[in-house]
Amino acid sequence: MEAKYDFERKYRDQVLRCSSCGFCQAHCPIYGLTLRPALNARGKMLVLKEVMDGTIELNDELVETLFQCTTCANCSTNCPSGVEVPEIIKQVRQDMVNLGTCHPAFTAMADVLARHPNIYAEDDKPDFGRPLNRKAEYVYFIGCVGAYREEDSTEETLSLLDHLKLDYTLIDEVCCSGVLEDVGHKINPGLVNRNVELILATGARTVITGCPYCFRTFNNKREYEALAQAGVKVIHLTQLLQDYDFGVRTDKVVTYHDPCDLGRHSGIYEEPRRTIKKIAPNFVELSHNRAEAMCCGAGGGVRGAYPTNSIAMARRRLEEVEASGAEVLLTECNSCVHNLANAKLRKHKFQVFTTTQFINRLLNKEG
Amino acid sequence: MEDRIKSALKEAVGPDNFTDRLIDLISFAKDASQNKGRPEAAVWASTREQVAAVLRIANQEKFPVIARGAGTGLSGMAVPNRGGLVLDLSRMNKIVRISIEDRLAVVQPGVVYAQLERALAPYGFFFPPDPASGKVSTLGGNVATNAGGVKGAKYGVTKDYVLALEVVLADGRILHTGSSCMKSVSGYDLTRLFVGSEGTLGVVTEITLKINPKPGLAATAMATFDDVEDAGRAVSQIMHSGILPSVLEVIDRYTLMAINENTELNLPEVAAILLAEADGHTREETAFQLAKIIDIFKQNGASLVREAASQQEADALWTARKSAYAVMTRINNNLLVEDLSVPMSRVPEMLKAIADIQDKYNLKIPTVGHIGDGNLHPTISFDGTDPDQVTRVEEATSELFRKVMELGGTLTGEHGIGLDKARFMCLEHDEIALGVMRSVKRLFDPNNILNPGKMALEA
Repeated sequence: MEAKYDFERKYRDQVLRCSSCGFCQAHCPIYGLTLRPALNARGKMLVLKEVMDGTIELNDELVETLFQCTTCANCSTNCPSGVEVPEIIKQVRQDMVNLGTCHPAFTAMADVLARHPNIYAEDDKPDFGRPLNRKAEYVYFIGCVGAYREEDSTEETLSLLDHLKLDYTLIDEVCCSGVLEDVGHKINPGLVNRNVELILATGARTVITGCPYCFRTFNNKREYEALAQAGVKVIHLTQLLQDYDFGVRTDKVVTYHDPCDLGRHSGIYEEPRRTIKKIAPNFVELSHNRAEAMCCGAGGGVRGAYPTNSIAMARRRLEEVEASGAEVLLTECNSCVHNLANAKLRKHKFQVFTTTQFINRLLNKEG
Repeated sequence: MEDRIKSALKEAVGPDNFTDRLIDLISFAKDASQNKGRPEAAVWASTREQVAAVLRIANQEKFPVIARGAGTGLSGMAVPNRGGLVLDLSRMNKIVRISIEDRLAVVQPGVVYAQLERALAPYGFFFPPDPASGKVSTLGGNVATNAGGVKGAKYGVTKDYVLALEVVLADGRILHTGSSCMKSVSGYDLTRLFVGSEGTLGVVTEITLKINPKPGLAATAMATFDDVEDAGRAVSQIMHSGILPSVLEVIDRYTLMAINENTELNLPEVAAILLAEADGHTREETAFQLAKIIDIFKQNGASLVREAASQQEADALWTARKSAYAVMTRINNNLLVEDLSVPMSRVPEMLKAIADIQDKYNLKIPTVGHIGDGNLHPTISFDGTDPDQVTRVEEATSELFRKVMELGGTLTGEHGIGLDKARFMCLEHDEIALGVMRSVKRLFDPNNILNPGKMALEA
């Protein structure tokens, strides 16, 4: 029987290889929250098996499960059968969009990026009062969340870069648009070209991203190959910071949340810990950490499409922070900061920062 | 299912806890076995009253009710192969009480094994029967299957720990069995009747478990054998030596070959590896036990014996055993994890029979198992889309269980009968035994609504 959809052509063996053991239930953030097997990775694979068998159609009835996945890769990282669930889900979403079936919030995302240079459809560019589009050794690439939703955090990160006397420039950046591929659409070449041109024009040898998702997009998407070809290296801020000694420390109990994009998707677990342990000797791990870290609930388009569940997932993560006794929760992703901070309740006495933001506050004696 | 029945169910559990949506029905159609069957609806119950209300409706309308926990079973017992209603208990997940003074824990059926393990750890206690799926499987599932685990030979299985149960009967009445006392011979042992009854007699809504103080130390050793007979003799000798290892596992040659073909581990492809762990409260205690085990390994012709000097080394010795499942499940698209037990002295014969069967049916059947209690897991990785392979797997399985019976074994050590082994029940149990089981079923469930079609309970 000839495959009807691209997901089947690419991932048929993977879908069949799911042995239905159900071990993903221990890891899936949406299952953990809802205890609804249909939303778990196994439930998704069972649905896709039926689609491949031709017993059901790929249609609107399946949107609720196939579009409700943060692509956090906690299932696939811990899957005995090695099923690459996030890759399969992304491909299925594209098949569904091709059929004209898609979650309205995901369609809106693609529409926004067709008309605006950022994911929030904001017309006013943020002004951080730093040099723009100049020749420099480094480009600092902020990302949409840092630029439009977590401006304070970004301001403090930039202050820290100033303090380190780093020769950097900002650019008139636009959305990296990698997220479009996660939500069933195609990366936007206009936005890609704009970023590539602006970066190359600075002559910088290194791009530092504040956002782990932009970091992945620049390094892994074929459309951004021009950067590597021009010898431009893209690193995440945490990789830069680990080499510095800041000469400040806090006695507060500090913990760290591994962002999915930096941890499971990029394998960067130890760099942020090296930096944090230098400034916070009272460091504690959350009960789920590194490859088993629980997702903050924001990824894969879920924050926009299923906001109630997204916030509830963040709250489950915050329960772990509370149990750890930490006074400060650090992470390396503005999207995680944004979702975790939004989910914070009055009873949660700890503070939430990016590591750079927190270091800058210590330098300014605000920590 | 008629709309009026759906309305009644919605009223019983609340509209948000009822579903007949396609994605839900598909997700409830399977467990970890090869069986499949889509239900007509499903409900999530959160109280015993809701469970009772649902069963009253089912009993009146005579539709099947399939209780379900995490759906990690390996014999199809939670698969709604006749449609009907899935009763999902995973949201009944409260640990009601932990009483260290009385050495017990009271839990709801949806509590995950690992959740109880975490809750008991601060007290230095544990609940020994740990299924390999313990990170996700529920304690209701432990009770329904009478689950075992790697510690069975020393610590027993679930039935050895269940003191009391609250069970909703098919007609909605709520039955309390057993007692919170460590000793009780008061009346029939109804508790034991329900443990392992696979959801065919009632729905368990509260479980009182005996819990154990956890020994803080363990020592681990591994031995390779060039002949399974030698390994088998070593096991028998250990088990009557007065030492009870907390773990005694076997990994056979075909498992080692499968691991080597699919990983870089380069394990020795010997006839069998035995892995032993001795637990205790002092170093002297664990060292004494392990020394005796190692002696027995050597007396029985072990070609190589290795003792772990650290936790890290112990983890390394466990690598082969722990990677077996992941390797097997990646080889092909269908995985059949079999489960059988034979008297300990017959284990070498059983391993040889499995090897003969794999050759005869041109299959690969690697075997691992809890050899300390004679419980083996031959595992078949096959292509479920190839009808010829499916037939060979079915025929091989039939021959496997005929051999198990010949050796005085039993159809299942810890996974249960479910759908997979219903057809073999008459091999192990004669007409009188089956007749009594069917009478018990009729007594508790005259309308045959509770997980019908499982365990060969229909004449």
